[in-house]
Amino acid sequence: MEDSKKAYKTGMPRLLELAATKKPLVIASVIFSSLAAIASFIPYIAIYFVIREILVVWPDFTSLNVSELMKYAYMALGGMAINVLLYMTALMCSHIAAFGTLYELKINFSSHLAKVPLGFHVMIGSGKLRKITDENIEKIEQFIAHQLPDIVAAFVAPVVMVILLLVVDWRFGLAAILGIIIAFAMQMLFYGKDGAKLMMAKYQTSLENMNNASVEYIRGISVVKAYKQTVYSFQSLHKTIKEYTDMVIPYTLSWENPMSMYTTLINNIYLFILPVGILIGMYAFDYTKYAVTFIFYLIFVPSIASILMKVLYVNSDVTRIFNGVEAMDKILAEPELEQPKNPKTTSSFSVEFKDVEFSYKKEEDRKALDKVNFQANQGEVTAIVGPSGSGKSTIAHLTPRFFDVDCGKILIGGVDVKDFTSSYLMEKVSFVFQDVFLFKQSIYDNIAMGNPKATKEEIENAAKAAQCHEFIEKLPDGYHTIIGTKGVHLSGGEQQRLAIARAIVKNAPIVVLDEATAFADPENEHLIQKAFETLMKHKTVIIIAHRLSTVRNANKIVVMDNGRVVEEGNHDELVAKEGKYATMWKTYNTTSSWVMNDKEV
Amino acid sequence: MDKTIKEPYLKRAMFLTDKGYKDLKKAIFACTITNFSMFIPATVMLLAIMEIVKPFSNETISWSKLWILFGVGILGTIVVFFCNKNDYQKTYVASYLESKNTRISLAEHIRKLPMSLFNSKDLTELTTNMMGDVETSEHVLSHVYPQLLANGISVTIICVMLAFYDWRMALAVFISVPVALFIIVASRKIQQFLGKRHAKAKLEASGQVQEYIEGIKVIKACNLDGEKADKLNLALLKMKKLAIQTELGSGIFVSSAQIVLQAGIGLTIFVGTTLLSRGQIELIPLLAFLLIVTRIYGPINVELQLLPELFYHQIAIKRMRTLMDYLPMEGEKTPINSYDIKFEQVDFSYNKGKEKTIKSISTTISANSVTALVGPSGSGKSTLSRLVARFWDVDQGKISIGDVDIKNLDPEHLMGYMSFVFQDVVLFNDTIYNNIKIGNMNATEEEVVAAAKAARCEEFISKLPNGYSTLLGENGNTLSGGERQRLSIARALLKNAPIVLLDEATASLDPESEEYIQQAIGELIRGKTVIVIAHKLRTIARADKIIVLDKGEIVEEGTHDFLIQKKGLYHRLYTIQQESMGWSV
Repeated sequence: MEDSKKAYKTGMPRLLELAATKKPLVIASVIFSSLAAIASFIPYIAIYFVIREILVVWPDFTSLNVSELMKYAYMALGGMAINVLLYMTALMCSHIAAFGTLYELKINFSSHLAKVPLGFHVMIGSGKLRKITDENIEKIEQFIAHQLPDIVAAFVAPVVMVILLLVVDWRFGLAAILGIIIAFAMQMLFYGKDGAKLMMAKYQTSLENMNNASVEYIRGISVVKAYKQTVYSFQSLHKTIKEYTDMVIPYTLSWENPMSMYTTLINNIYLFILPVGILIGMYAFDYTKYAVTFIFYLIFVPSIASILMKVLYVNSDVTRIFNGVEAMDKILAEPELEQPKNPKTTSSFSVEFKDVEFSYKKEEDRKALDKVNFQANQGEVTAIVGPSGSGKSTIAHLTPRFFDVDCGKILIGGVDVKDFTSSYLMEKVSFVFQDVFLFKQSIYDNIAMGNPKATKEEIENAAKAAQCHEFIEKLPDGYHTIIGTKGVHLSGGEQQRLAIARAIVKNAPIVVLDEATAFADPENEHLIQKAFETLMKHKTVIIIAHRLSTVRNANKIVVMDNGRVVEEGNHDELVAKEGKYATMWKTYNTTSSWVMNDKEV
Repeated sequence: MDKTIKEPYLKRAMFLTDKGYKDLKKAIFACTITNFSMFIPATVMLLAIMEIVKPFSNETISWSKLWILFGVGILGTIVVFFCNKNDYQKTYVASYLESKNTRISLAEHIRKLPMSLFNSKDLTELTTNMMGDVETSEHVLSHVYPQLLANGISVTIICVMLAFYDWRMALAVFISVPVALFIIVASRKIQQFLGKRHAKAKLEASGQVQEYIEGIKVIKACNLDGEKADKLNLALLKMKKLAIQTELGSGIFVSSAQIVLQAGIGLTIFVGTTLLSRGQIELIPLLAFLLIVTRIYGPINVELQLLPELFYHQIAIKRMRTLMDYLPMEGEKTPINSYDIKFEQVDFSYNKGKEKTIKSISTTISANSVTALVGPSGSGKSTLSRLVARFWDVDQGKISIGDVDIKNLDPEHLMGYMSFVFQDVVLFNDTIYNNIKIGNMNATEEEVVAAAKAARCEEFISKLPNGYSTLLGENGNTLSGGERQRLSIARALLKNAPIVLLDEATASLDPESEEYIQQAIGELIRGKTVIVIAHKLRTIARADKIIVLDKGEIVEEGTHDFLIQKKGLYHRLYTIQQESMGWSV
């Protein structure tokens, strides 16, 4: 099983792979953004030529070549315009690519969700999956639309800058580059020290501690208030806040000198140019050319700081995107439910568990089901009872193949459930569990889902049988009331009954039920029981029972304990046997006749 | 009222303490000085250029003067360095200290808020974001605001100074600043307009995703894969279309603002050159402007990049302010000597003006008796019991305990007289022992163990690897529902308060677990004034008084026998329940 999991790349390679879904647009945006970065240097080149034009004639302006000068003026202006236009074009391409990619990823993700075993959804919960589609995948937009073109531009710009620095006059160029290297080397030197990493880790831990303490503080506040303990729990939060501050201030201060040094250096790179300029100037042959170059460097060099600053800022947020993609890939790597090559069908509907073994987590020793054998006869009611954690619900989940068993087989009418197509199996098995889900559609549609071919009459009959008709009629639009609209509030019991109506319409030969564990109010409970009665008629029923009285009359009771079947038989047989069931029955009777009393004990 | 004294805008907008406000002003000042210190290199450069061009006007260049300038430049770096150091300390350290105070005052405030708020949804949203919000604020105060405001100040000053010299050039240098800002503000407006449709599509798509994921079992069970996937596809497609429209219509302009800002360099060259060609500006001033224009946009640009954080910061501040606006409940610490609880014409609704949850209830609960609240779901049972503990204040009427109106009691003091056993048991990430001890921090070890025994916790605690010292995970999720319930009863036993509020568990546990809980409850209520919300009516058949509620009103009250004979709502509920208890498949 393990090796069937797909492996995905991680980090940047994976992000680029995702971006490549819309390759032409992404490439276009990267190219435009690089060109924009190159165009941003045009004005500086214009400066060089402007200064040259002027110094050639200075201070006598009468011989100034005005048309030539204006050419360079327009060049500066044009360079900027091109820069803006190219950058916007790049962003247009990148945004179209980004939203296209998002769309495809979401579709891909949700269609995968439909193909994994249903049990996966039981285990992982919808919150996490929703977070992935709504938040994690959404973050990739940031990367493709903004970060990718910006990162590329941020790296192209320094390269062009270095070329420009060296081409105009390599001596000045080298001096400027030396200054830049020293500034960065100082940063690296400090950052590379183990101390910085250690501090960073410490900073993260204390931040986390503080956040955890505050979550705990707020979560428990109602309790601590009830017990007058707010000061006690407040103190532990207070402690973590203090620890964080005590940690973060020295941490920040440790950066004070290197950061100040860096900022100072990067803003004073001209000091590397100046002595070089003086030395060159003292021995210059062509003074005009020398002066133009020197002035050009003095004007150009301050821009270096802002170009380099961009490199520092651009990279900041990629790790969060990495984590989001990783969360998505983890789900995408879940194997899909295998479909049979030669699907089978069946015409009889008994359910049989044969030496079934199953555990939710493969690495866990404890099995949820261990060598479980029993048969639920066609048209009969088989009840599963046992303490919580005994494996009752697992049986309910395995019958409609929410999970595949580790060992053994589950047979319906003698055919292994793995040999049915998913849709066939779903047609034959209905299940009503406690987590009722209704769609934001009309009540009618919600019931009709069970069987799209059902007539209006059949739907209404099902609603009546499930004890829904009465409350539906009272709703503003009756059967056409849309669920979730304002003013429509259905109680838990009503929702439960709608789900039963849906199952009645579906009319599958096998029904798996989980008796509600929560006490609805007395009236609701009574109605749900009535609804169950219709649903179960003439069906092969497997019912997970929590209240023993419910299953007294079941054709067969399977008693579970610790993942094993310990007893099997009908109520009378099991009581006579004086085993586990008999004990449970006895306790059940004591608790249900308990009366609260503060006078005598 | 002090409130009428207007606080400075910045202080209010940024949710600062007095000290924080003072520190922010200092930080802005320090940053402004740093900005101006950057003019040392610019001036040295300009002087150097003036020296270099001397030969063109037939003067001799003095190399030694240039060396002196170099020396001055080196000295200048020291000044720049110390200015930087100064603003680093003023901004970072101050903002971390300020955040510490904000964190503590938020936490202090929260603990004084009424109980009721902790179950409401908006408070959960506020508090879950609390620490994150302070973090945002911390970052903005240290990395964005001082620099941004300092830049604003220095840019304005420079702009004015340059305008005196040559307004056309000054305009060329600075025009791109308001243009860039205008683009950001205007496209944000457009974005908000376009964004509404986009947000709607997004909500719709996210709703479809939610339906698809949460309803997947039904989708599979009813073989609706195709139909639902189509619907999802449609919603996602629409969202994609609108997202692209919104971004192309406005979003990319915001991103381009930085580039527009730098277009000022090109513009300055253009204007300068044009003026120079007409003889309207000298070479040296032109070069001075060029020197300024190449270095002025860098810092502004960095701030523009951080702009989204400012918008986010506003949301964070709004949340923090809402939290601080909740008023704590106050009252006296009057001792209570007897525990008869009296309701006199009590009205209550969760939202003022909305439907009343409790309607003119008058009744008495006698001390040292068991009183049960009964009724269909939504009848007001839980609300009524929580009103006794002053989770909320009544809208009208009065609730008194031993003749003391609870409205005048300090909530925490009132809590001292009560124990709660509700269904949602909160356990801490601590040992079992400490989780019980919360009930009474002064209890001895023997007392804790005795309480655990009485609450029938020994049975499972003894099975745990480290017994009482076993660490519970987050919210004790290693324990079963029944075990958690018993731990909370042990806490209540340890507290030994004279009034006990009990919400009978609605979830059915396995019989064994239920038996233990019943025994534990038996211990807890002995000799106490007990109010119990009952779901299983049989359980309270021997209560001293049963109050039957429906739609917020008392419909009948009395003993079980009396109510059964009366054949009213209680009789009906009781009969139906007995019937369903006996139901079998």
